Amino acid sequence: MDQFKQKFKEEATDLINDLEEALLLLEQNPNDKDIVERVFRAMHSLKGGGAMFGFDHVSEFTHHLETIYDLVREDKFLVSADLLTITLESVDHIKDLLFSDEITKEIENNHSVLITKLSTLATNDVGKAATPIENQDNTASTQKSFYVFFKPNPDVFENGTNPLYLLDELCELGESRIISHSENIPLLDDLKESNSYLYWEVIIVTDQELNAIGDVFLFVEDDCELEITQVAEGNLLADEKVIRYLADIEKESKVVDIQKLEREISKNKENKTEQGSKESTGTDTSVISSIRVASDKIDTLMNLVSELVTTQARLSLFTEQQEDAELDAIGENIQKLSRQLRDNAFSISLIPLQSIITRFQRLVRDLSNGLGKKINFKTEGTETELDKTIIENLTDPILHIIRTSIDHGIEDVQTRINSGKPEEGTILLRSFYSGTNVFIQIIDDGKGLDHEKIRQKAIEKNLISESTQLSKKEVFDLIFMAGFSTAKEVTDVSGRGVGMDVVKRKISAIRGDVEVDSEPGEGTTITIKLPLTLSIIDGLLVRVGVTDFIVPLSAVQKIYAVNKSEIIDNYTHTVVLDEKQTPFHNMREFFTIDKEMPDTVQVLVVTYEEQSVGIVVDYVVGEYQAVIKPLGKHYKDQEFISGATILGDGSVALVLDTNKIIKQSAEEV
Amino acid sequence: MKKRILIVDDSESIREVLSFTLENAGYDVLAGVDGEDAQKYLNGEPIALVITDLHMPNKDGIGFIKDVRAHEDYKRVPILFLTTESQTAKKMEAKSAGATGWIVKPFVPQKLLAAINKVVR
Repeated sequence: MDQFKQKFKEEATDLINDLEEALLLLEQNPNDKDIVERVFRAMHSLKGGGAMFGFDHVSEFTHHLETIYDLVREDKFLVSADLLTITLESVDHIKDLLFSDEITKEIENNHSVLITKLSTLATNDVGKAATPIENQDNTASTQKSFYVFFKPNPDVFENGTNPLYLLDELCELGESRIISHSENIPLLDDLKESNSYLYWEVIIVTDQELNAIGDVFLFVEDDCELEITQVAEGNLLADEKVIRYLADIEKESKVVDIQKLEREISKNKENKTEQGSKESTGTDTSVISSIRVASDKIDTLMNLVSELVTTQARLSLFTEQQEDAELDAIGENIQKLSRQLRDNAFSISLIPLQSIITRFQRLVRDLSNGLGKKINFKTEGTETELDKTIIENLTDPILHIIRTSIDHGIEDVQTRINSGKPEEGTILLRSFYSGTNVFIQIIDDGKGLDHEKIRQKAIEKNLISESTQLSKKEVFDLIFMAGFSTAKEVTDVSGRGVGMDVVKRKISAIRGDVEVDSEPGEGTTITIKLPLTLSIIDGLLVRVGVTDFIVPLSAVQKIYAVNKSEIIDNYTHTVVLDEKQTPFHNMREFFTIDKEMPDTVQVLVVTYEEQSVGIVVDYVVGEYQAVIKPLGKHYKDQEFISGATILGDGSVALVLDTNKIIKQSAEEV
Repeated sequence: MKKRILIVDDSESIREVLSFTLENAGYDVLAGVDGEDAQKYLNGEPIALVITDLHMPNKDGIGFIKDVRAHEDYKRVPILFLTTESQTAKKMEAKSAGATGWIVKPFVPQKLLAAINKVVR
């Protein structure tokens, strides 16, 4: 038998490992039924094996766990942080039970404490979840009517009993009618204020047995006159005659005559109608407010919508050429519908940021404990929705930023106290919409970034030269360069070669941008700017020479018509727009397009690093819904191109990233 | 304000079980290790309920129940004592000392809360 025991212990180790892993997963996805099932299976195997091989403690204990997770399986119990904490404690305890050489006093104590915690949890929550089910049972005809006579002794208050609480408890058992008798109250002079003079008669309708009613008066049985009788099956209080009879009794301060009551009942028995059938109406009105859909179906939908939008563009072009009024109308209608369909399909593929927040919370919790730092992780605006592809690609970068923030940003408790900050550091994850972008900020109140240190480091690493003059922002941007790490030593947590440059690259891959701002001693703010969606954008179709380009409409603030003489041979590269000096970048030069410039050109004003910058194109063709397609590998290093789109006539236009164009163009000048 | 319950028991694990259950049910808990130790809580601050074990070193439960009843501020406070099913004689003794009711050991949380529900609202 002993060798079997050994075998079971090995098996149990695997089961426990699996259980722990599943529990941690469950913490991140509390609603995932598959994980709950996995947790339950592991528990069930532990319980079965424990009983088989003589680990009765383990078996009995696991049974309690299993009970709760059985309820979770049936949706009668919600997975909460409390539950998971206690479950994890319990798993540790099972390890103790299995692998300790002897069961110490401590383990024993732990055993009973955990069992109580578990059953407390079970009773608390099940109570809530199961109430409606119990109510349904009440409507069944198992109800009985009882008569209770309760007259406490005058000195009942002496030992701390309050008869009112007992009546309250009695009424909780079901529907009740209480008649209170005050005729024994003496005249004021004779009244002893610490005595009880009242007595009560109660008709109670409940599905409980006589015992349960007796239990209410358990503590006072010896200190009162008590009579409990079952007077009828069914609900006596639904009978109008009984109600009237009781009202009369109360008015005339008479005592209920049970025999008379019973006669009333038997008289009524024949014309009793069936009850309960009417209660069943109105319960079937549940409306499905949401459904779960496999994500690849949504991907397919998005693809189809993209194709539709592309085809619609062809249709639009065709109708324009036909000059047919009827076709025009149809074309416009299709255009409107496809736009609505597009917006609708988009909103389906959006998921709230909240869905990935738990991972960050867990990270902060584990990491701050590990480093002995106190950190409060706060979130704002986590209801902000993003395209699911973006969310999927966002988790890792944000995890890295938070990790860096905990490791390098937030100081340890002592340092914080010394610099007059609250002991507990704060990391705030904030998200909000602005225009067609979503911003996510990770703000910490740690020690901030040290300008000079970053500069020195960059010089050391040959990223910049000693003489390079950089603005504050440019210095901060250095941390996103490959091979840069400000931490003096590589720590356990961050700085394992995976730097902020990877964060930048990953966010760029989803057409986002990341910026950092910091005040030494005050903290650091990292801002991630993301597009709402990746696949279709509202664009502005512009033409330079014979080539068409798409500029995201969201980037463009204003469009000005400017005489070409202001652009050509302009060595300052600025033009006055609305009385403001505006630097510009000529796309004709940028793409080295030779063709003659028209007399009037158009300048798109976009915002670049909080400044207005002009982009010069020949002319604006119009708005265009651009379905963005990725470009082949030859273009993958061209950062200024977000992708390409197919135009109505079947030709291809590049989608430009204005920020990157300006940056690159500025560097060339 | 949360209601305060004074628990008196010499067993640490029982105290822990009681505290956990009661705090979970929304009460504040004061804990004494025996009748002598628990005297310090009889200081005029409001107490909604006393739960005491009967067998304890120094001062046992019966003695402590009498102390509570003799105290001007607490003579009407409900007192529940912990007992086992077999101790009928002890039950009578505790009741005549002034106890309001009892809780049978071993108990599960819902039993405990049900007993409390009879005497505190």
